[in-house]
Amino acid sequence: MTSRILSAVAILLLAAATASAHHAAAGIDRTTTKELKGTIKAFSWQNPHSWMEVEVVGEGGKVVTWTVEMTAPSYLVRAGWKASTVKPGDEVRVTVRPLKNGDPGGLFVSVTLADGRTLTERPVLAQAAPATPPAQ
Amino acid sequence: MNRAISAAIAALVVAAAAATLHAQDLGALAPANLNKQRPAAPFDVTGTWLNDIRFKGSWRFGPPPDNVKLKGEALKHFEASKQAQAEGKVYHDDIGQCWPAGLPMIMTRVWPIAMVQKPTVIYMVSGFMNSFRTIFIDGRPHSDPDVVVRSFNGESIGHWEKDTLVVDTKYFVGHHHWIDSGVPASEETHIVERIKMVNPATMEIEYTITDSKGWDGEMKFTKRWNRVDDQDIQEVSCLPDLNQHIPSTQSKDNVR
Repeated sequence: MTSRILSAVAILLLAAATASAHHAAAGIDRTTTKELKGTIKAFSWQNPHSWMEVEVVGEGGKVVTWTVEMTAPSYLVRAGWKASTVKPGDEVRVTVRPLKNGDPGGLFVSVTLADGRTLTERPVLAQAAPATPPAQ
Repeated sequence: MNRAISAAIAALVVAAAAATLHAQDLGALAPANLNKQRPAAPFDVTGTWLNDIRFKGSWRFGPPPDNVKLKGEALKHFEASKQAQAEGKVYHDDIGQCWPAGLPMIMTRVWPIAMVQKPTVIYMVSGFMNSFRTIFIDGRPHSDPDVVVRSFNGESIGHWEKDTLVVDTKYFVGHHHWIDSGVPASEETHIVERIKMVNPATMEIEYTITDSKGWDGEMKFTKRWNRVDDQDIQEVSCLPDLNQHIPSTQSKDNVR
């Protein structure tokens, strides 16, 4: 049982770290999150990072496209994702760790789909544990 | 009759040529090299491995230890990177711009590494950008510096010392190649890895990194990897249209 828990924690840490592994992520504000309520414009299921674009209606009705960086499909699958989980036109709520400079982009934290399901990048087994993404 | 004699002579010439080949003349996968009599390897790393980010130091090869004194361009880069970090900026994010991570950083990305060991060679393919690394363990020396093609993973030559595989790597590309944030590799970077198995599922590597151009002293780090038997390496490329959708690689706050 102990090894199972340790394994889950390791996978959890790994998933948390993965989002920033392709590159340095000093431009990301890891101290806060931002919720985006919008429509999926695009979703790419690819290595080494998946990504999505979310159109958010801002002040004055102006549509802003947020680019959201995700981890690799091999980890997303363990978190319950498939390539068809989100598609253009889907209404979603996406939580991100935003860029420090205020540009519309950030690291993915979670998505709540129209059917009420919430998905993260963490393996399902480890989702009950808290995550603290390591700074790079 | 003459045709038979000619054929026999031709066969003798081919056989003689083959007999003059030494181990270092043979490719690592040549049957004559693979089948050469050697002591059994103390361990076999064949498998899929993932850097243990719970272990001390995790994936970083820095900051430089106190015993190391950076100098020249390396010192300038390091001071500039500290300034960039203080301003919340990314310093020379070359990996994010599709330059190879290179040794040593390629070993500690958070994607797994597939390793295949034969009697003469160890091949490694990283799940990060499919970076390919070869460690020759067939007794060959390092290549002639006037012949070798420098690379980001360098030329690795290994030999066994009891239960440890000692790997000597040099001939690196010295631009857009980093040991750690703000610490550049150079053409003089030299890395020695002492690889051993802590247990069948855990591998440990002690790194000693020197660079006569970049610093005085030795950088020493110890890292661990765990077998991940439920994972495989997939095809992966760093693509320009991918980076267009990675916010942090496109950030205006990158210092390049």
